[in-house]
Amino acid sequence: MRHTLLSAVALLVLAAPTVAQQTANPYDSDPAAMRAGRALFANRCAECHGADARGFSGPDLTVLWAEGTSDERVFQTIRSGVSGSIMPSSTAPDNEIWAMVAYVKSISTVAAALDAPGDPERGQELVQARCTRCHYVAGGGGYLGPDLSRIGAVRTRESLMRSIREPAASIQPGYRTVTLVTPSGDRIRGVAKGEDAFSVQILDTRQQLRGYMKSDLAEVVREPVSLMPEFTSARLPDEDLNDIVRYLGTLRGNR
Amino acid sequence: MRRARTSVWVATVVGLALAGPAPVTAQDDDAGVTYDDILAGFADPTRWLTYSGDYSGQRHSPLTQITPANAHRLAPAWTFQTGFDTRGRGFETTPLVLDGVLYVTGSNNYAWAIDARSGRPFWQYRRQLPDDLTYGASAPVNRGFGILGDRLFMVTLDAHLLALDRATGSILWDVVLADYKVGYAATLAPLVLDGKVIVGISGGEYATRGFIDAYDPETGEQIWRFYTIPGPGEPGSETWPDDPLTLARGGSGTWMNGSYDPELDLIYWGTGNPNPDYNGDSRPGDNLYSNSIVALEAETGALRWHFQFTPHDLNDWDSNHVPVLVDLEWEGEERQVVMLANRNGFFYVLDRETGELLLGEPFTGTTWARELDAAGRPIILNDGSQGCLPDPWGSTNFYPPSFDPNLELFFVTARETCATFVKQEPEYVPGRQSTGGVIWIDQDQGWSALRALDPRSGELEWEFRYPSPTFAGVMSTASGLVFAGDHEGNFIAFESATGKDLWHYQTGSRIWGAGAMTFMLDGRQMVLIPSGSTLVAFALPLD
Repeated sequence: MRHTLLSAVALLVLAAPTVAQQTANPYDSDPAAMRAGRALFANRCAECHGADARGFSGPDLTVLWAEGTSDERVFQTIRSGVSGSIMPSSTAPDNEIWAMVAYVKSISTVAAALDAPGDPERGQELVQARCTRCHYVAGGGGYLGPDLSRIGAVRTRESLMRSIREPAASIQPGYRTVTLVTPSGDRIRGVAKGEDAFSVQILDTRQQLRGYMKSDLAEVVREPVSLMPEFTSARLPDEDLNDIVRYLGTLRGNR
Repeated sequence: MRRARTSVWVATVVGLALAGPAPVTAQDDDAGVTYDDILAGFADPTRWLTYSGDYSGQRHSPLTQITPANAHRLAPAWTFQTGFDTRGRGFETTPLVLDGVLYVTGSNNYAWAIDARSGRPFWQYRRQLPDDLTYGASAPVNRGFGILGDRLFMVTLDAHLLALDRATGSILWDVVLADYKVGYAATLAPLVLDGKVIVGISGGEYATRGFIDAYDPETGEQIWRFYTIPGPGEPGSETWPDDPLTLARGGSGTWMNGSYDPELDLIYWGTGNPNPDYNGDSRPGDNLYSNSIVALEAETGALRWHFQFTPHDLNDWDSNHVPVLVDLEWEGEERQVVMLANRNGFFYVLDRETGELLLGEPFTGTTWARELDAAGRPIILNDGSQGCLPDPWGSTNFYPPSFDPNLELFFVTARETCATFVKQEPEYVPGRQSTGGVIWIDQDQGWSALRALDPRSGELEWEFRYPSPTFAGVMSTASGLVFAGDHEGNFIAFESATGKDLWHYQTGSRIWGAGAMTFMLDGRQMVLIPSGSTLVAFALPLD
């Protein structure tokens, strides 16, 4: 064989609990289950609910928990479908449905950031000064990074702090760094919004949407880093970080 | 079999036909398609009369108007919109064409007769499906019609076989294959032989028992049935526990089309996973005839030989592939072989008269096994519990490959994926899946490629890589072209000898499960591909 072999990669293996007739999600917050749930969601749900679960022809699912639903209610809706709509019932095994519930919840969890330490007003000033060139926040800002307008409803305090200190640890699809090299050697950097065998679609660092045919490029370089700088404690003291995250925790959907 | 019901259907439809106005169609006045017509395969370039174009399963058209030199000029001629999507799956059909009329099945058991010149429908058939479908709800797909005389044959998501009138889409007879409520469904394109319609069944994720059936095209009467899981005491049952219940729910669906050798009068058919899919504790043994190819006598359905690719499967690697029948020189002598790239990651060549294994080599980077022992059994290196095996969709899947007999190359869409298999205790609830496990797929590690394999060695001759695991079928033509597609929606023409991409068209939806088909229409070569909710026709410009 003359092609590259797969490299073996260790994955988290889940000790699967018994799942019959449960009302609590046995996979709640389980990273491996959420990854599996993401794949199942992409196959079965994304066509109507959108790849990011924020709604396409079907409704936005990431607001369900903020609106007061429970894991069990979401499970039952997937199991039974919604009569009078095109949302079908499902005969998938319970564990697959719970994995999808865990995934959708993971991108919509109501964070417990409101009672955390920090000064939200000072945090707002810091965010306006240091983040909004790339992030849209409640009324203004850029688009190179994810919209933060409701980040307080979908991310925990801990994950926000980690994303600020180590942005490359987890990069959402749509925000992965790519550099396009033209035949004359020019380098165009941005985040990859889409790619197929023949083309690549990016938002460049000037925040312009640009599409390229690969045949017009010398190279497409995918970088394992985030375009967002690493805000180490030298660059952003803990006090400032606390204030920023405290403020972000208040952002719950008012754009 | 419901004979009484069948008679009522026939009487009703005949009555309607007599009472109604004469149908306006494009078909000839003769008796329609004969077995000899199907047997002739591609002899008439205006026709495509069976799923792969002919009985060999090669999906290799002799047409030469579109060539590597002019393929870059291909342009859409028309687009047909079905009006709906297929949740989680694809538009998997292969249209048939006769006298300028396309006969097309769709997802959710819709079907159409479409004018091949304009893309406009003559008629639409829609089956009223029950709202408690089982397997059919999770994969609401269909892969095409069979045709004989003026009849079309189609299977359904509630596990029936239908005969439709070609001119009107009216139902002539309707027979039950199995009880859909237990977990059965049917999705393949019926294989029409001389006086027989051959079909298989879906539902191996449920506590079902697979079979291959032959029906009388005239009446819908069952001629024979071959069970892919033996009954107690029957040959093969020694590869199962001595337990009738385990055998009765042993799985092994037969949900993809077979091929046919008219000289040997043998049908070749792939079989699916044993149930439960991922937990083999309740079924120690090889679990025949799961994950196998079976060679059946067309006349009787009797088993002539079998070869099992994945004994005691734990990964849901069904062997439901189109068997590709080829005559070629093998180590100095002419051999009649059947070849296939298997979901388990190996490419196989077998003598199709005897079932003797001639070659078995990996065609992907699978870590499950890298070689077969002398008896053809894989030497397993990684059982999947530690991660990074090809996912349950496999190293390839049911979507059709093709074979170019001039270049002697086998073209297949190969998937490179990474999954961890964790077994669980299965639950047996009628109408609910009993997979016995959960799978974690590492999405970030998936990719795929169109590969050209040398059938004598399994060696890779060339590949074209896609950025994600794709599910598109392949068709090749005698002019030296391979048509394939990808998960991002591109329909692509490659040069067969080199793998150079010559042309592509973004269809707007992933190409999933379908291979292209081609035919001549008014002197113009048409190439059709289903994608998403559309069937798109391409041809060279008229100028």
